[in-house]
Amino acid sequence: MSDSRKHRILMVSDFFYPNFGGVENHIYYLSQCLLKLGHKVVVMTHAYGKRSGVRYMTGGLKVYYVPLRPFFMQNIFPTFYGTLPIVRTILIRENISLVHGHQAFSTLCHEALMHARTMGYKVVFTDHSLYGFADVGSIHMNKVLQFTLADVTQAICVSHTSKENTVLRAGLPPEKVYVIPNAVDTAMFKPAPERLSREEIIIVVISRLVYRKGADLLVEVIPEVCQMHSNVRFIIGGDGPKRVRLEEMREKHSLQDRVEMLGAVPHAHVRSVLISGHIFLNSSLTEAFCIAILEAASCGLLTVSTRVGGVPEVLPDDMIVLAEPDPGDMVRAIGTAISILPRIDPQTMHLRMKKLYSWHDVAKRTEIVYDHALSCCNQSLTDRLSRYLSCGAWAGKLFCLVMIIDFLLWHLLQMWQPAEEIEEVPELVFHNREESWNVNEDHGLI
Amino acid sequence: MDNSFAGSSHPARYKWRKVAYGGMQPGFDDNHTDDSFLEGMVMNANVVKRNLLKVMLDTVSISQYLCIVTLVVLIWTYTLKSAINVSSLLLLDISLLVLGFLVLILTADMLSLSLLFHYFLNISFFTTGLFLLSPIYHTLTCSISPDSIWALTGSLLILHLFLHDYSGSTVKPPGALKNPNSLNASIVASVLIASRLPSRLHVFAIVLFSLQIFLFAPRVTYCIKKFSFHLHLCFSFVLIAVTLGFTYHLHGLLFVLLLGLLVSVNVLCPYWLIRLQEYKFEINGPWDEAKLCFDVTE
Repeated sequence: MSDSRKHRILMVSDFFYPNFGGVENHIYYLSQCLLKLGHKVVVMTHAYGKRSGVRYMTGGLKVYYVPLRPFFMQNIFPTFYGTLPIVRTILIRENISLVHGHQAFSTLCHEALMHARTMGYKVVFTDHSLYGFADVGSIHMNKVLQFTLADVTQAICVSHTSKENTVLRAGLPPEKVYVIPNAVDTAMFKPAPERLSREEIIIVVISRLVYRKGADLLVEVIPEVCQMHSNVRFIIGGDGPKRVRLEEMREKHSLQDRVEMLGAVPHAHVRSVLISGHIFLNSSLTEAFCIAILEAASCGLLTVSTRVGGVPEVLPDDMIVLAEPDPGDMVRAIGTAISILPRIDPQTMHLRMKKLYSWHDVAKRTEIVYDHALSCCNQSLTDRLSRYLSCGAWAGKLFCLVMIIDFLLWHLLQMWQPAEEIEEVPELVFHNREESWNVNEDHGLI
Repeated sequence: MDNSFAGSSHPARYKWRKVAYGGMQPGFDDNHTDDSFLEGMVMNANVVKRNLLKVMLDTVSISQYLCIVTLVVLIWTYTLKSAINVSSLLLLDISLLVLGFLVLILTADMLSLSLLFHYFLNISFFTTGLFLLSPIYHTLTCSISPDSIWALTGSLLILHLFLHDYSGSTVKPPGALKNPNSLNASIVASVLIASRLPSRLHVFAIVLFSLQIFLFAPRVTYCIKKFSFHLHLCFSFVLIAVTLGFTYHLHGLLFVLLLGLLVSVNVLCPYWLIRLQEYKFEINGPWDEAKLCFDVTE
């Protein structure tokens, strides 16, 4: 335990509670575990509807919902320097030592990291998604990422495939990138108390019904599986543009009694849907790290998934059956899964998952990254500018210009609102941090 | 996190595995970069190696279409200057129709009487419709000044050339248009020009001529190209020569512009493309989004 170095961390992202998703959960659970380790964690995100201002969450997690309106897909409008005053105020007020940004597709994250670097703080960046190289959106996103990561102190990726992808996209040296996977809250995702009968095999699908998550593959696979195995039923949770296609498939093959569509499943009910099934089917076309698979495995379900992105790294081979993203291969994989189902014991699987994944482990490994980041030496503006220049013939000079203007604006702000005038928040100790929240059955995000 | 690994008796020489579960791998840092790093990366897998001569021969179809459009504009100019009379225009229309028909018949794989009859019926409906509509076109732009008409026609033609599908592939006939805006622009341009003409018969003849070319030329050139590449090349060169000849007689500057355009399209652009290909860097790997092998029909 590192009692000597207690960090004061600012987590920045556009994605946080009350949104539910991979990035949001990651930030929340990681922050909670870091708080347990004795560090101070503050989260900064944009306002969600009426939820604006400072809120305190479980364990004393302070969240700044900065009043910026989301503009495109939950991201704020990129104003480059508009967030400088508020970021500076938060950094000084909370006496932050390190800034941790999440998700490449988050404008608030990029802006905050840029300002933090200008002001001389150490930054760590975590990338949660895979991106391509060929389409217009990806090319621009990668350039922005290159800008941010040109000067980041350390970077974290959630899987080895994600590390390869990030290193190629941003041109980072691989030694700077740490691989720390996500984890799952095994206390919340417990298997059903009694084993389900295996007369009827129930396959559960919970995902957003969009192209990226392979809803089209489901449309091809489900009728064939229902035809081949007469005792199989499907439960599909989730909503999206492709729901219509699934309903049509149901009608066309008269599978109304064998395919149940639940619609959007709120996060709190995911476990109850999962424990009603034997097999979890994931048909995504791209996935950096699939937390849904972890949740299913923690509930004792056998997983069948497409072999894409970081999915092969997530579970040991006896807990998952992989298939190519091709309907024929997926049907074969489901058949294999059904045949090995008698050998699966949900409770054993759950206990194994507790050992394989733990948010406390993630927090400890992240702490090591923070220690490394803070031990890196400080750099002056001229050293940093040379890193930006190497980003590209035109882009490098543009980035340097952006950083110089940021530097000048920072000094202007220092004269206008000196740091001494900003009151620092005293260290607050929350006594309920002592009780182990793992045992608390109905802890939730309130 | 306790390192309870099954079956690892000598953690000192533990082999690094590309897995995410089980916590930190003993003996390795989280930023350890294995030798197998990026071994799944494939570079330039789908890049086609291009040959300069082949690219230049392929661009001949672009020049061919440019010349066809230039010839249409030339006919319009001559008609507006009253250098051609109605009867020669109508003769031109009929001969183009017959020629087009001949080309289709001679290069068709299967000659079926019903197909021929089908074509003939469509053409007659088309012609009759145009004849009936020509009085409307005649008075369409009476109140608009000629400058606006020339400007509009010019921009529409440029739009048409810009959006036209030049793929010239001999695999699929040019059926449903991916972007109908190019055809729309050309049809509107023809109607605008036709509305400037003195009599209804003029209007009918010009609209029939323009529409024939814009609607059927892609199909006819596709048939020629599919039949024989050499025939396609001969036809294109003859067309280019004829166009250049007529343009030279009409206006010197136009001739120079057209010549410059053809040279740049046929010679300069292929060379530039080959030069740029060296910089192509396509990356593929396990992180790519999977491509569905079946078509998604909505």
